Amino acid sequence: MTAMIEVTGLTKRYRDRVAVEDLTFSVPEGEILGFLGPNGAGKSTTMRILTGYLPATSGTVKVAGFDVFEDPYEVKRRIGYLPETPPLYPEMTVRGYLKFVASIKGVRRGQMATELERVAHATNVTEVMDRLIQNLSKGFRQRVGVAQALLGNPPVLILDEPTEGLDPTQRAEARQLIKGLAGQHTVILSTHILSEVTVTCERVLILNQGRMVAFDEIKKLAHALGQGDQTSLEDIFLKLTAAA
Amino acid sequence: MRNALAIARKELGIYFSTPWAYVVFTAMLGISSFFFVNLLATFKEVQSLARMYGWARLPPEYAMFKNLTDGIVVQLWDVIAVITLFVAPFLSMRLFAEEKRNRTFELLMTAPVRPWEIVLGKYLGGVGVIWATLGLTIIFPITLSLFGSSESGTALEWSTVALGFCGLLLWGATCLGVGMFVSALTESQMLAAFLTFAVLLPWMLLRGLAQSAEEPWRSIANHLSFSSQLSTLSRGVLDLKALVFFASVILFSLLLTHRTVEAQRWA
Repeated sequence: MTAMIEVTGLTKRYRDRVAVEDLTFSVPEGEILGFLGPNGAGKSTTMRILTGYLPATSGTVKVAGFDVFEDPYEVKRRIGYLPETPPLYPEMTVRGYLKFVASIKGVRRGQMATELERVAHATNVTEVMDRLIQNLSKGFRQRVGVAQALLGNPPVLILDEPTEGLDPTQRAEARQLIKGLAGQHTVILSTHILSEVTVTCERVLILNQGRMVAFDEIKKLAHALGQGDQTSLEDIFLKLTAAA
Repeated sequence: MRNALAIARKELGIYFSTPWAYVVFTAMLGISSFFFVNLLATFKEVQSLARMYGWARLPPEYAMFKNLTDGIVVQLWDVIAVITLFVAPFLSMRLFAEEKRNRTFELLMTAPVRPWEIVLGKYLGGVGVIWATLGLTIIFPITLSLFGSSESGTALEWSTVALGFCGLLLWGATCLGVGMFVSALTESQMLAAFLTFAVLLPWMLLRGLAQSAEEPWRSIANHLSFSSQLSTLSRGVLDLKALVFFASVILFSLLLTHRTVEAQRWA
C-alpha cells in the first residue's frame, strides 16, 4: 500500500505558543484514520495545514506525492475538506451553493446535475436543496458542509468533526456514509465521539497539547496499555491525555 | 478564468439577494435626483435671466448654462462621482471581510483556485454591482434628451455625455478596487467601509489640502488627486493621462489584494 498522506516533522508555532509539535504519520490509500484529542490539542490546526490553508512552521506534508507548500494547486485538487465551521454562504440556496463549490472544484457543466444529485443523496439533503442556507437547522448545515466536501469525488477527504450537531439518527447515517468511503477514499476524521471512531476507523491518532501520544490500531493500543480487549477507546483516550 | 467567473457570479448573486444592493441603488437614485432637480431649477432661472438681459451681461460663470450638456449633465456627473465615493465603501466592504468572518475564506483557499482567480472574481463581481448602481443614473440624460430642446439640433451632446459616463464607470471601478484591498485586510466589514472611506476622501481632496504646500509638492498632489483627474473626464474630454492614472490605481489595488491573499499561505 502506498501512503496517500505523508506528514513528516510537522510543527506549527504561533509566536510563543506551540500548536503542533513534530508530528509524523502517514495514511495509506483507502484508509480511514481517526484523529482524536481534547479541545485545543491541535487537530484543527493540523487539518488546516494538510489542506494548505495554513503554512507549517517546519516539516513537510505530502498528499498523493505532492508537497502542500510547493504544489498547493495539485494537492487542493485532490482534497475534499470540511472545516470545523462548515463554510456556508447563508444568503445562498443549498443548490446554488453546491453548484458554486462544484464549479470551483472543476466539475464540468455536463456532469453538474448528476454530481449534485449524488452528493445530495449521499448526505441526505435532497429535500432542502432549494431552501436558503440561513434557514436550515444545524444538522442540515453540517450535512451541506459534508456534501460540499464530497463534490468532485476527491480521493482524499479531511473532515473536521463531521457529526457535530447531528442527532443520533443522523449520526448513524453519517457513520454509514463515512464507512462507505473507505477503500476508494483516504479519510482523516476528527471527532469527539469516541464510539464513532471505534465503528468507522481502523487506526487512530491521538494528539494531546500538540504532540502525538498514540498512533496505532485501536486493539493494539488497548494491549499496549496492559489491558484486555474489553478496554474501550474512552479509557485509552482518558489515560493517554491525562498523563501530560 | 472559469473559476474567476464562477466567483464573480456568486458575488453578484449574493449582492442581489441581500438588501445592500437595493439600499445603495435607492440612495444613489434618491440623492442624485435631488441634485438633478436642483440643477434643472438653476438652469431654468439662468436661461430666463439670459432671455431678459442677454448672455453678454451675465457673469461669465453662468456661461455653462447655455446648453443642457454642460449646464446639467456634466455638473451631475461631478455630483455622482462624489456620491460614488460615499457608496462604494458599502459595496466593497464585504468582499473579503465577510468571507473571513463567515469562515468561507477557508473554502476558497482550500479549493483548487489560484489566488489571482479569487481576487479577479471578487473584483469583477464588485465592479458589476457598482456599474449597475451607476448605470441607473443614465436615466437623467435620457430624460433630458426626451423632454429637452436646444437651438442647435439635439438637446444633448451625446458624445460628451457618454464619455463623461464612461469616466464615471472608471471612477466607480477605482473606488471598488481600493475598497476591495482594504476589505482583504480585515475581518470587520464596518472597519473596512470606514477605512476605505478614510483613504478615498482625503485622496479626492488632495488638491485642496495641498493648496498651501510648496512646489514641487503642490503639483505632485495636484496630479495625484482624484478630483483633478476626474475633472477632465466628467467634462467628456478623452484624457489619456487620467485614463492611465485610474487604470494604474486599479491595477495596483488588484496587485496589493493579491499579495494580501497570497500572504495567507505564508503567515
